[in-house]
Amino acid sequence: MQNRHTATDRFVVSRDKEAATHLSPGLFPAGRQSEWSAQNRTLIFSIHPLSNKTALAVGGKKTRESLSNDTLTFDQDQRVHICGISTESDSRLAFINDTHAVFVALQQLMEEAGADDSTASAVGIKGLVKMSVLYREAMQRQSRVLADIADPNEFIKEEAETFRAIHAVWHLLEIIYLTTNTPGLSTSIVPHFMEWLNANFLAPLAEDAHRIAGGSPTADDLARNELLWPYLKKLALRGHVSVLGNMLERLAPSQLLSASAARWARSLSQLCRKMPLSSSDETAGSFNSRWRQWNEELRGHATAIGCLLGDAGEKDGGAGGDKDKALEALFAISEVMRGDLDAIAAEGEMWQDIMGATLLYSEPTARADRLPALVGAIIEQFEESAFTELDRALVALLNHDLAEFLVHCDHIDHWLSAHISDLMDHISVLDICRRVFVVDPREHYLMALGESYLGHEDLWRVGLDYLGLCRTVAGALVMEEYVTRIPLDSDRKAEQVLRVCEVYTLECARDRIHRQLGRQKWQRGRLGAAIAHFAQVCDHDSIGLICDQIWNAYISSGELTYGPTIDGVMASSSLSEGSGSLLHHEGLQFLSKYRDFHELYAAGAFVEAGKVLLSILLCEIAPAYALGDLLVDSIPLLEGDTLVFSSEDTFELMRVAESLAQSQMRQSQQDGAIDCSEMNIFNVACTRNLARSFVMF
Amino acid sequence: MSKLQVQPVARKVTAISWLPPRAGTAYTDTDLYFVTGSGAKHKELVLWTTPNPDFAQSEPDSTNDLATVVSKVPHNGDVQGIIALSPGLLATASSTGIISVYNVGTESGSMEFGESVTAHKFSNGEVAGATSLAVQPTGALDVEVASCGEDGRIAFTALSRLKESQGYDVDSTVITDLCWTTPTQLAITTRGGQIKIFDRRMPSEILAAFANSQSSQALESIAVHPSQPFRLATGTAGGSVLVWDIRDMRQPIIEELTVHEANVWQVRFDPADSTRVISCSEDASIAVTQWATEGRGAVALGVAPPERGVRRLSSMFNALSINCFDVCPSTRTHLLVAGSDSGNLLMEKTVNPDFKLF
Repeated sequence: MQNRHTATDRFVVSRDKEAATHLSPGLFPAGRQSEWSAQNRTLIFSIHPLSNKTALAVGGKKTRESLSNDTLTFDQDQRVHICGISTESDSRLAFINDTHAVFVALQQLMEEAGADDSTASAVGIKGLVKMSVLYREAMQRQSRVLADIADPNEFIKEEAETFRAIHAVWHLLEIIYLTTNTPGLSTSIVPHFMEWLNANFLAPLAEDAHRIAGGSPTADDLARNELLWPYLKKLALRGHVSVLGNMLERLAPSQLLSASAARWARSLSQLCRKMPLSSSDETAGSFNSRWRQWNEELRGHATAIGCLLGDAGEKDGGAGGDKDKALEALFAISEVMRGDLDAIAAEGEMWQDIMGATLLYSEPTARADRLPALVGAIIEQFEESAFTELDRALVALLNHDLAEFLVHCDHIDHWLSAHISDLMDHISVLDICRRVFVVDPREHYLMALGESYLGHEDLWRVGLDYLGLCRTVAGALVMEEYVTRIPLDSDRKAEQVLRVCEVYTLECARDRIHRQLGRQKWQRGRLGAAIAHFAQVCDHDSIGLICDQIWNAYISSGELTYGPTIDGVMASSSLSEGSGSLLHHEGLQFLSKYRDFHELYAAGAFVEAGKVLLSILLCEIAPAYALGDLLVDSIPLLEGDTLVFSSEDTFELMRVAESLAQSQMRQSQQDGAIDCSEMNIFNVACTRNLARSFVMF
Repeated sequence: MSKLQVQPVARKVTAISWLPPRAGTAYTDTDLYFVTGSGAKHKELVLWTTPNPDFAQSEPDSTNDLATVVSKVPHNGDVQGIIALSPGLLATASSTGIISVYNVGTESGSMEFGESVTAHKFSNGEVAGATSLAVQPTGALDVEVASCGEDGRIAFTALSRLKESQGYDVDSTVITDLCWTTPTQLAITTRGGQIKIFDRRMPSEILAAFANSQSSQALESIAVHPSQPFRLATGTAGGSVLVWDIRDMRQPIIEELTVHEANVWQVRFDPADSTRVISCSEDASIAVTQWATEGRGAVALGVAPPERGVRRLSSMFNALSINCFDVCPSTRTHLLVAGSDSGNLLMEKTVNPDFKLF
């Protein structure tokens, strides 16, 4: 396999909505699978455990030994291809970061509102509405960014469609569960529903009115315009009654209309302007009374126009079609506006249009709980098989079938299911459907979203927040596993990963990362930094091994160069509570004191140097293999002009020498043993120093 | 808490620096330029331009971008530091231990790679990330850039002899930041929680080393007072900003300002008012802190001392670490730009009433 790794290629992987991925260009030439197979070639692959990369290579189906020598080999097979399966497009990065910030702020808001019971009532619906609007603003920004891309490819078009769907779903949920629940506001859902309908589905625009009216300067031109009547019907369906009124008034003077059509156009125009609008300072009874009156008037108009149409049909038998068409259209508009369900169904193309017009003209004070009955009756008129995921999600939401709603949201986009289940949890409606799922839906969707970000170099921190903030044991476990596998490319990134561990109290992961960093630094020869990391997790064994390495380097080179390493460690030793014990590590204390001993000796402070040396021996912090060297180091002090060691000190030195000799006798191995001649010199020096000390003291 | 204006740029911004104004156009430039460096997936340098707010005719439209891209150039490794040496020249430090020089043409809107040198390596041969760089404040034509890295070394690189970089092993942990206190003296901060002072003429010897005995934490960043070379500001891993007076090398005076909740990645004395220290942090905020010491002198002169306090800057749409910031030195309006891990450019414009040109 070694010679395969001669080069790497990067392939573009196109990803479709289903899980299948396709290499482009493919390693297999299209349509030549059987030929490849006959040449003992197949594909082998291995998926990277953390990132979204896969290693691909052409492999043999049989081992080389079992093949004849004349089997062909191909140069292009000596390659490993690294394929990055990009689950997140860079075009979404800004959106992901924006909404992550809102998500984190929302969690903090809920946490601050009540540590025990983070419910909507504690925070207030207004706070949640504000957050929901922030989410929607981010969606709208992303939609604008996608719309501004010149020459969009298929993926960008799909993304734009997805974001339109995400916004429509989110907006409707906000209206049903947040806006109409806001205290002090009218609880009728109708005006909000119409706002949602016109904001999310192509509405008759004011520009269209200008275009139609502008291209037709006179009333006659307007009456001739073929786009006029469909547009007016659309205005009626979407509740743009003031625009409708203006257009009808402008049309009325046309000579092309019959006298009756012109009269009824004028009359309908006036009625449009009189349409009652509900306001928060009006009682429901008062509004209903005004509505009934207006509706009765409209009913009278519709009946009268209907009679006229009937009479005209009897007289002409279909002649004068243009004028009849106008009257027919006026009749259809008045029928829609008086709330006739059949007329609304006949004029509406989409179920959303029919739903809106039904609510607006038939049930203008309807509340959210009325929606399931209405939507059920309306969608019966449509082929459900032609419904998109968006339609299904919206219908499920209007039906208050939240479990099905979440499933369809997940089909639309994973971002949507994760964030909307979180919002539903905060407004306490997720509990209604929790039992339907095997696992908690909020946890499941947030974890799935978080995991999808972990492999992305820019989004790993965002992914960890989603795992951490789903606040479940499973999330913490997954997070703990992932966090230790994040590549620690730089010192700053290591600090950031450790900070994540601190924030989410991942003690085990923190310890593993410190050990990992300690080993990494050790391999790179950064012994001080390695000790500092091992000290954070009280890994005394590793620190001991590093101390041994430092000591051996000193013994072999004879140069005391580890001072800066020790200094760095001593300064960093009190970085945290966990490393407080570092100062008590015997190996480090020994090295530190031994360095002090040499510095004092070099400075001529023999008495102080002797005290330090003796303290090393008395505290028994020196490793056994260093004792011989320490005793040898004491010889110049024993033989010097100044009396450094008292008789007690000398006895202590002799005791150490005796125990060393005994241990050497017990052990057959001679590692660290001092030379016998040096031992004899030490003994003589001790004897002389003892004699001097008796005389002196 | 004040709000920062945000512009998403869809890449982690790890370093940022304003370009100094061209000779003859200082204070009259209608367009200002700055350079950002990014890391992780998009390793590149980006040259940006933004209108000079001093000459703004009207309030900017909130829907407009804060800055627009002039040019981009790929970078070898994550950009860990940027220093603008002149309006047409900048140096960068890389996570691959490379110090690079780039030529910038603001008029032509170009930015081109010049040359580079690997200044930081571990003893086992692996590349060591450079963590910061600083230009020697000599005013000489042939400037020298000092850099520090995860290998515990400081490297000196003269721009005219880039390949002859000299490195000195001065710490056993990671050197997190450095600054020149005088033209011959520089200070470094270490992950071990120390400040070490070096003389350029004897770079292998430590002149002095300090640590905060009260609560020793890793030091992440350092800056020197613009007119008092003995006064240093450091940011710690725990979120504090320490202001040091190192006139007495045996016992420096330390003032601790607890302004952040996590690692302080960059700290600077405000060039417009050195009684303020600006810092940015892993906690996704920028703090402008009035430190008190300089106010004592003001009392003696009969002037009311500045009120001590912290002004925090953050944004609702920026949840992750703010890695870097820079204050435009040549505008009447206090113009601060910053970059974050959330892939945002952040900006604050405040009119400074005390700013006087003459």
